[in-house]
Amino acid sequence: MRTRKWYFTAVAALSILAARVLYADFRAGYYTPAGPETIHQTLPGAVSTDSNYDAGQYPIYYPELAPGDGKNDVENNCELCHSPRYITMQPPLSAQAWSDEVNKMRKTFGASIPDDTAQRIIQYLGTHYTPETRKR
Amino acid sequence: MILLTDRPVQLETPRQYFLSTFTPNDAFFVRWHLQTIPNAVDLKVWRLRVEGNVERPLALSFPDLATRFKSVSVAAVNQCSGNSRSRLQPRVAGGQWGNGAMGNADWTGVKLREILDAAVVKSGSVQVQFEGLDKGLGPKDYGSNRFMKSLDLSDPVLDQCLVAYSMNGEALPMLNGFPARLIVPGYFATYYVKSLSWIRVLDAPDDNFWMKAAYRIPDTPRGTTTPEDMKSGKVTTVPIARMPVRSFLISPDGSMKIPAGFPLRLRGIAFSGYGGIKKVEVSADNGANWSDAHLGQDAGEYSFRTWSLDWTPKSAGRYPLTVRATDAKGNMQPDEGVWNPGGYLWNRIERQEIVVGDAS
Repeated sequence: MRTRKWYFTAVAALSILAARVLYADFRAGYYTPAGPETIHQTLPGAVSTDSNYDAGQYPIYYPELAPGDGKNDVENNCELCHSPRYITMQPPLSAQAWSDEVNKMRKTFGASIPDDTAQRIIQYLGTHYTPETRKR
Repeated sequence: MILLTDRPVQLETPRQYFLSTFTPNDAFFVRWHLQTIPNAVDLKVWRLRVEGNVERPLALSFPDLATRFKSVSVAAVNQCSGNSRSRLQPRVAGGQWGNGAMGNADWTGVKLREILDAAVVKSGSVQVQFEGLDKGLGPKDYGSNRFMKSLDLSDPVLDQCLVAYSMNGEALPMLNGFPARLIVPGYFATYYVKSLSWIRVLDAPDDNFWMKAAYRIPDTPRGTTTPEDMKSGKVTTVPIARMPVRSFLISPDGSMKIPAGFPLRLRGIAFSGYGGIKKVEVSADNGANWSDAHLGQDAGEYSFRTWSLDWTPKSAGRYPLTVRATDAKGNMQPDEGVWNPGGYLWNRIERQEIVVGDAS
């Protein structure tokens, strides 16, 4: 269990790392994990007196996803573009609505998720995040 | 702040910050669309570029904004299109905001018109497009790759628009759009493009995802429809624009039982995208009788307007306090919700139950 958790954190960290952008005039896409109990404001970078205005990295508060088949696929796909909080912040949705959401991510937003993986993600969300099954 | 999501960031302003006309910068709601949002900006190299269908493309530095143009201020409410989305029935997917995806600030900057005039818009132009420094991981030409919003060049709101570099007298916080942000007074926040870095004059209507598919409302009275009508495909949509009139009771917030005979001062705010607030009324008996509230400081027609009303509950009971506003155009808040798939335009009369107990 411990190793698995470590592995997912590493995958998440890597995917976020891959998304960082360093341009000449600005820096973007930097996040840093923060503990679930601490609500920090933005962590300030070292404040310099040059022309660079730096807000530091933005904190990530990793939510606990329901355990079950497909959680893995959510972590390896959905989390590339957004935090899993986009799942946990939704109201309980029907299995059909979750299916629509996943397909929206693929078709409308261009997420490259293979059919079988998408099916597992839909199955997972429709199992754990509906009005009948949602734990909290 | 209330955390909705962390990547991209969405933060909601807690209720108590709405007691004042202006919302503090460090408690001002935050909503980004794409995951790669600016952490740092180097003003030595940052430029606001004005390009596209113009005679004279510009690359304005931060000091250029303050020195080459006249500085103008406007108090304007910045409210997310999906503010109060969690109130819709049936529920819709999206950021599940309470009432705190809004804020009011005193914005200072440059008139968009002045910048466009300096660049000289070519004839045959139809829209002007805005883009910030945020970037997504989706494939090129998808909404998940770039966030862009456009306004018609013929829209009178363009004369009110500001490119703001100051918010409540301070530089914009990074999360609220440093170094410059588009201000579109009266319109929903989707047009308030943050870290604004490109202004593009277009010779054809913008058909990018954020105009053509997202942030659209049913072309019906109040923008309301039903899931059935949506599914049938007979609903046409238009881009969201102005904010309907709203009002809020901020204090008391119902968290405490009030002793009978205790003199209360009810306090809150109201605003409208259709001109200033003309009237705020409060009812303690579910709308049978209404009392006019006293209106506070008038900071302009696009601003929050504070209101207050002294009220002493005489006897124990449960009082469903309701508040409704009427704007300068005569629009009064209705007691019906709206439903549309985006979860936009909620402006139903708010209710707050106050529990009054025996005092002796």
